[in-house]
Amino acid sequence: MARVIAVASGKGGTGKTTITANLGIALARLKQKVLLIDADVAMANLSLILGMQSSPITLHDVLLGEAQVHDAIYDGPEGVRFIPSGLSLDNYKRVDSERLAGVVSQLNDEYDFILLDVAAGIEKNVLSALSASQETLMVTMPTSPAIADALKTKIVAQRLGSKVIGVVINFVMSEKGEISKNDIANMLELPVYGNVPYDPEVRKSFMQEKVAPVIVRKPDCPASEEITRIASRITGLKSEPVKAKKSGFFEQLLSLFKKKK
Amino acid sequence: MFKRMLRSFAGKVLADDTSQPLSQIDFLRDFLSRHKYVFTTDFEENLMVLKRKHLVDSFLVTNLDGSIVVSTEGDGHTEGIMGTAMLSYIKSEMPDSESVLIKRQGHWFMLFPLNKKVFIVKAGSELSNIELKALAFELDGLMQVNKQSEKKRVNQVA
Repeated sequence: MARVIAVASGKGGTGKTTITANLGIALARLKQKVLLIDADVAMANLSLILGMQSSPITLHDVLLGEAQVHDAIYDGPEGVRFIPSGLSLDNYKRVDSERLAGVVSQLNDEYDFILLDVAAGIEKNVLSALSASQETLMVTMPTSPAIADALKTKIVAQRLGSKVIGVVINFVMSEKGEISKNDIANMLELPVYGNVPYDPEVRKSFMQEKVAPVIVRKPDCPASEEITRIASRITGLKSEPVKAKKSGFFEQLLSLFKKKK
Repeated sequence: MFKRMLRSFAGKVLADDTSQPLSQIDFLRDFLSRHKYVFTTDFEENLMVLKRKHLVDSFLVTNLDGSIVVSTEGDGHTEGIMGTAMLSYIKSEMPDSESVLIKRQGHWFMLFPLNKKVFIVKAGSELSNIELKALAFELDGLMQVNKQSEKKRVNQVA
């Protein structure tokens, strides 16, 4: 039976999708069978972070009853499997997100982890994703608006019967005015699973010709290392450090010329 | 190297003019404390907790014949009979329907069948099917726990 975990935050822009993509890969590195589902049916962009935007059959088709769920599963980076959501606005309007729980239950026996990337807000799509999961992992930032939205999402998740297991604090810059890890843990009454630092490498990962999650591109940058630790905390398994592939002098020189084109 | 370190130190310590929003932290802490839903061994009390948790005004559980199983608002006979009759009519016309939502005088009446019972929920705003299902499942679970503890109590007395 898979552990079905919804990654939610309430507020937009906290890095849920980035955390979901990278956490999925970190779990796969721990020899876990992982399926990522882009449950943000309105503003899907997990496929962009994974560099897998051209997937012909999507969750939209499955929820519309026009495709089988197994036809919408694709091979992602490092053994992760992935169900994208479509970018079509027409289909989004027709989709019944309530069917998500049925889709997830069909796949329960095939994976160790199913991670749902949940939309921002507490609208119907979010409720569907939360109620389709057994557990919820909150993602927030060390600022009061993000925490206020996380609080509301936590209450909604509990109302829908999803156990909120912990919180990941993202974009930590260690400024004096940031709400501390302990205060966030106390306010949300949740254990802190990770304190992911603000890392320019995360942003740079989207600015490549071939987009790949930061944990693939820079496995030894601070954000990647912390996400790897989060995966260890979730599974209770010890992770091996992954070193980034160092490019040689000539490779670096060549890449400089490529950039100038 | 030294220059970069010095700049980083200055940026972190001297130019960091931020401070923690302490009043907001207190406000948020208070917000969560008002949303604590602790269930006890008292069934009646648990029904009130459930009402607050799911943001509804009242609920009623009936058997399929309209007889009351649980009610948070007096005996609720009229609403029970009306609700089950309405649900059975709709089910006879549309057998695959999952729930019924009725707006009446600014209030919502929601009917949801589960485990051979009808859950009738009254609230100021409509609940989605997902929320209605979650409430019905939780209430059904509480009813089962209550039934078991009642049985245990009767056995102990006997």
